[in-house]
Amino acid sequence: MVGLAGYIAVSALLFAIGMVGFLTRRNLIIMFLSTEIMLQGVLLNLVAFSRLHGQVDGQVFGLFVIVAAAVEAAIGLGLIVLLFRRRGSLDTEELATMSG
Amino acid sequence: MTPTVIAYILYAIFALGGVGLFLCVPREHPRRLVLLAGAGLGGIALLGLLTLIAVKHYVPDGHYVLFCFFAAIAVGAAGRVITHPVPVYSAVYFGLVILSVAVLAVLQLAEFLAIALIIVYAGAVLVMYAFVIMLVRQQGTSVADVRTREPLLAIAASFMLMGAVAGQIGKLGELTTVAPPVVAESTAVHVPDAPAEPGHTDNTLNVGRRMFSKYVVAIELAGILLLVAMIGAIAIARKRVPTERSGPLPSPIGQVGRRVPPY
Repeated sequence: MVGLAGYIAVSALLFAIGMVGFLTRRNLIIMFLSTEIMLQGVLLNLVAFSRLHGQVDGQVFGLFVIVAAAVEAAIGLGLIVLLFRRRGSLDTEELATMSG
Repeated sequence: MTPTVIAYILYAIFALGGVGLFLCVPREHPRRLVLLAGAGLGGIALLGLLTLIAVKHYVPDGHYVLFCFFAAIAVGAAGRVITHPVPVYSAVYFGLVILSVAVLAVLQLAEFLAIALIIVYAGAVLVMYAFVIMLVRQQGTSVADVRTREPLLAIAASFMLMGAVAGQIGKLGELTTVAPPVVAESTAVHVPDAPAEPGHTDNTLNVGRRMFSKYVVAIELAGILLLVAMIGAIAIARKRVPTERSGPLPSPIGQVGRRVPPY
C-alpha cells in the first residue's frame, strides 16, 4: 500500500519535468505538451489528497482541470496553426519581435 | 530514519535524476552513449525513489507493485516527451503518460476521473495534437527541435522545486505511519466485497452527487467556458491571415532546413 508520499513524489516529478520541458524546448507544440504534463501532475495530486480526506471534492476539481486543459488545447492549437500559417515556423526564438 | 535523513537521500536522488535529464536533452549532434548514460542515471534515480518509498513505510503488496510499474512508466514517458527531437513521438509518449496517470488515479479509487481522463485526453486532445503536428509539419528536422535554451538553469530551477517538496515528503512519511488517516483500511482495499471507505463505495455516484449539488454553478461556468472556447476556436480558424513569406511555398527539394527570416 502506497500512501500519500509516493503519489506526491510522482506528481511533483511530473510537474518538474513539465517545467523543464516548457523552459528548455523551443518548439511551441512541445511547450504546450509540457504544460499538459504539468496539469497531469496537478491532477494526480488532487486525486491523492481526495483519497486522503475521503472526499470526492478533489476529483471534481480534477474534472474542472480536464475542462480547462481541453479549452487550452483547443484555443492554443488554433493559435499555433494561425501562427504557423503567418510565420512558417514554430521556433519561439524567432518570435522575438516584442523583445526589442 | 529521521525526516532529515530521508530529505537528504531525496535530494541526492533528485540531483541524480536532474543530471540524467540534462544528459538526455536534445542536441544538434546527439551521441548514443550520452543518451544511454542519461537514461541510466534517470532510471537509477527513479528506482531509488521507489525503493525508498517501499523501505520507509510500506509492506510491498499488489498496490505497491502496480504503483511502481505505472509511476515509472509515467515519469519515464514524461521525460521522453521533453527530450525527443521529433514532435510526433513526443505526442505518442504523452499518450503513455496519460494512460499511466489514469491507472494511478484508479489506484486512488478515482475511477470516474480516470475514465474521463482517458476519453478526453487520449481520445480528443491527443488526436488534436496529432492533427496539428501533421498540419504544421516542416521539412527536415527544424532547428527549434534540436537546440534548447538554458537546459542547465531550467533543471536547476526544477531541482529547487523538487527539493522543496522533498523535505515535506520526509515529514509526511512520519505523519502517515504515526496516525494513518486512510491507510488504516489498507488491507481491505483489495477485497471486493468489503468497501474500502464509506464514501467510496460508488465513485461515479458520489462524484455526480457532489458535482450537481455543491459545484453546480461551477459546472455551468465550465459549460459556458467550453462554449466560448468552441466559438473562439472556430473564429480563429476562419480568419484569413496575411502570410509573411514572400513568393510561393518553398519546395522541399533543395530547401531542406530553410530558416524563415525573422519578422
